[in-house]
Amino acid sequence: MESSLGDQLARLLGGSAVLPGDGHEIDGLTPQAVVRPADRLQVSEVLRWASAEHVSLLPRGGGTRTGLGNVPRKADVVLDLGALDKLVDYQPADMTATVEAGVTLASLQEQLAPGGEFVPLEAALPGRSTVGGILAVGSGGPLSHAYGLPREWLIGIGVVTPQGVATKAGGKVVKNVTGYDLNKLYTGSLGTLGVIVEASFKLLPIDPHDGALLASFPTLADSIAAGRKLLHSSAAPMGCHSITSGVSRRLQDSLQAASQDLGLGEDETALSFAYFSGRAKATGRRLDEAAALLLAEGATAVQRIEGRAAKGMLRWVTDAPSEVSPSSALVIKVSVQSRSSARASAECGEVLLFGEKPEQMADPGFGSIRLFWPEPAESPARGVNNEQPILDAVQKTRQIAHRYEGTAVVERCPLPVKRQIDVWGDAPDSLSVMRQIKDRFDPLGILNPGRFLGGI
Amino acid sequence: MDFKRFLKGLQGIVGEQNVVYHSDDLLVFEYDGSVDRGMPEAVVFPTSTQEVSRVIKLAHKEGVPVVGRGTGTGLSGGAIAPPGGIQVAFPRMNHILEVDTENRLALVEPGVINLDLDTHVRKFGLRYAPDPSSQKACSLGGNIAENAGGPHCLAYGTTTNHVLGMEVVLEDGAIVNLGSLARETIGYDLRGVFTGSEGTFGITTKIAVRLLPVPEAVRTFLGIFPDVETACTAVSAVIEHGIVPAALEMIDALTIQAVQKVSDAGYPDDAGAVLLIELEGLQDEVDEIGEEVEAALWETGATQVRTAEAAEERELLWVGRKGALGALGSIAPNYFLVDGVVPRTQLAQVLAQVAEVSRKYDIPIANVFHAGDGNLHPCLLFDERQPGALDKIVEAGTEVLQVCVDAGGTLTGEHGVGLEKKEQMPLVFSEDDMAAMVLVRDAFAPDNSLNPGKIFPDGKKHTPHTQPVYPGMPA
Repeated sequence: MESSLGDQLARLLGGSAVLPGDGHEIDGLTPQAVVRPADRLQVSEVLRWASAEHVSLLPRGGGTRTGLGNVPRKADVVLDLGALDKLVDYQPADMTATVEAGVTLASLQEQLAPGGEFVPLEAALPGRSTVGGILAVGSGGPLSHAYGLPREWLIGIGVVTPQGVATKAGGKVVKNVTGYDLNKLYTGSLGTLGVIVEASFKLLPIDPHDGALLASFPTLADSIAAGRKLLHSSAAPMGCHSITSGVSRRLQDSLQAASQDLGLGEDETALSFAYFSGRAKATGRRLDEAAALLLAEGATAVQRIEGRAAKGMLRWVTDAPSEVSPSSALVIKVSVQSRSSARASAECGEVLLFGEKPEQMADPGFGSIRLFWPEPAESPARGVNNEQPILDAVQKTRQIAHRYEGTAVVERCPLPVKRQIDVWGDAPDSLSVMRQIKDRFDPLGILNPGRFLGGI
Repeated sequence: MDFKRFLKGLQGIVGEQNVVYHSDDLLVFEYDGSVDRGMPEAVVFPTSTQEVSRVIKLAHKEGVPVVGRGTGTGLSGGAIAPPGGIQVAFPRMNHILEVDTENRLALVEPGVINLDLDTHVRKFGLRYAPDPSSQKACSLGGNIAENAGGPHCLAYGTTTNHVLGMEVVLEDGAIVNLGSLARETIGYDLRGVFTGSEGTFGITTKIAVRLLPVPEAVRTFLGIFPDVETACTAVSAVIEHGIVPAALEMIDALTIQAVQKVSDAGYPDDAGAVLLIELEGLQDEVDEIGEEVEAALWETGATQVRTAEAAEERELLWVGRKGALGALGSIAPNYFLVDGVVPRTQLAQVLAQVAEVSRKYDIPIANVFHAGDGNLHPCLLFDERQPGALDKIVEAGTEVLQVCVDAGGTLTGEHGVGLEKKEQMPLVFSEDDMAAMVLVRDAFAPDNSLNPGKIFPDGKKHTPHTQPVYPGMPA
């Protein structure tokens, strides 16, 4: 009889590198094993073995976003990159750093802080989220308006190909057009083209001063409109978010635990969060002007928070999607042109699921809107089809996103629904090129099979 | 292939007036801003995406390689036609289609000149940030092919950080959209990997770029230093203050001499280096940070510091830097510009080694460079009419690149590999690294018929082909 995949891996890397797959279920599939290579050479060994044995591998960093993507076609082995956790090189005067993929964002920022610098990556749960995972997902956070996406900061990358060959692209310098920019290709590819083992970033100096504004608005639409005005003013923040009360009340709860009060009235339905950083004087001026502008635009109250408390608030807003998602039946991220964010938000706000409107976190500067529909109040009676209403809500939201030339990615939904949809949405006309790339990089389809757009 | 019939086919698509094929007319298309030459068989000026598609489809069917050409300002031979190839150029597709001030984006055709876009959008309080030194002449289509940079990329990033999406034509004539008008989209970042692919993946026919608001205040500082090494310590001092200026540029003594010959930049005769620093932002931050910058310049040994905030006065400070390459013509008829990049902290040491290369080969080297991001531009001065001069220059240039790579740097920061540096690619990339890159090209262009013979080493020395391969084409 063939030995199990776990046994084969144990022979390859030693028993301590292999764990059973139980408890690491992904979309209903239980992998046979979790393998944790100690270094890049072992990553190559695992990939060579997987190619030879036609074993599918699901690369994992901190496991904070494993729910993202379609149901895998196959999930034989989880490839845990957490042991690749070294800061390889950091030269503060060059404002660049090179790290292994398994380093967590929090750990990286801690190691950069003594040099007065940070990497402008944003992720929920930074104590668990790894650099490799953040790159593979490719998404930003609340300050995307200012920082853009991880793609803007990655200057070099080390990738092990599905065949187990160590390759690199880019370099350690901040400006580089030598060869094709594969940094961009790997960022956001969800681990479907190769396994990221190392990354080099350009860094920014830590600003000496931070400030945030929290403004209450009668409606979400008012909050978004005010946000748009603010973003186009000389007091433009680094990022601006409009949040419905269902989300902001959780913020209120966690702040009350820290003896802070948002000052939310009973009838407030939306909150604007705006973040600023820079030199003290300029930041102070931006905060003053922005507060005045928000009041003039109909805010019923504006709170100003500075220093560490502002950073704490930013942390909360960054983490909020992962806090709110677990209690949601359906989470969709809509991305549109920024000018369309008000209309798209208003229309998506009317899409009902189980009779409820979605809670929202909208970024009117970057043009993204996260929609959270709560779990139904009562669990459905036996035999009642709970899937169709969710499919309908997905369909309606997609129609709205398309009307504004945008996309709607389903970030969370029940498994039976997930099996029936492409969570990424309708493929663009460039899908054929994407498939060609996948087929050439991973002809056996061993990396994250089926999880990406169009079943890639 | 019947080339005569092929030409007729091209004329049928774009009209007779939009196909150039006489060798006299083709002369201006045989070169770009680099030292390489190559005469195309024909140059086609399409007026629409559909025409581009039909031209490329026809060429593909006939096995004729196609090179997209912007305005020929490129510095790596990227727009040079391979033997038997044609160029598709975009003087007729040079319209700014839309400026969306609410979304802060512009939709343009590939032939739009970089500076024309910036000038146009400034009417709306917006700007297009990437500003290659050739911005008065270079086109946005070419900027995308090369992922062009410029002085202000220090703070704002290069072309790739400003392109939202593009419409491209692939080698089989298929029209495909990459990226989107929204900031975030789904699937592989094809727009990202296409940018900087040097015309080998496809030809861009429409571009959406991000625009930024014009800052409230801008202040430029010009510091005169006794030598480049001292000026480099000023660069480090500024960075150590946690300051990322909008631009941080330097020129060395030889460049200063050249500039002095042709302009009234007004540098002192004994100036060994000129450092330019530009700050942007709210007036408050420009004032506060400006004081720190000025102090850092004096503390590190500047002999003179000038500063200006009004646009015309700032322009005067920039005269020497912006006119530097042109001014080199007053010293030598040709220059070979090396685009190496090194970590910022290695600048002074690398420049010293570049000076050694200069002595070893007895070639004057003038340095004009983006000090902030470590992007050197050593200009090897020569006279191409001297027998053997070009070979010697290329050899010395390769040695300069080796110096950059040894210091942890790379071959090119903003000009592209093209023909010029393809044989040096193994200095930074292994065969496996390059094999992964070629897989992407194969996905976009399986027949490698778009701008073939560029970027990757093939051991073939580029021999200028100054006559069309098919002489005596129809009159």
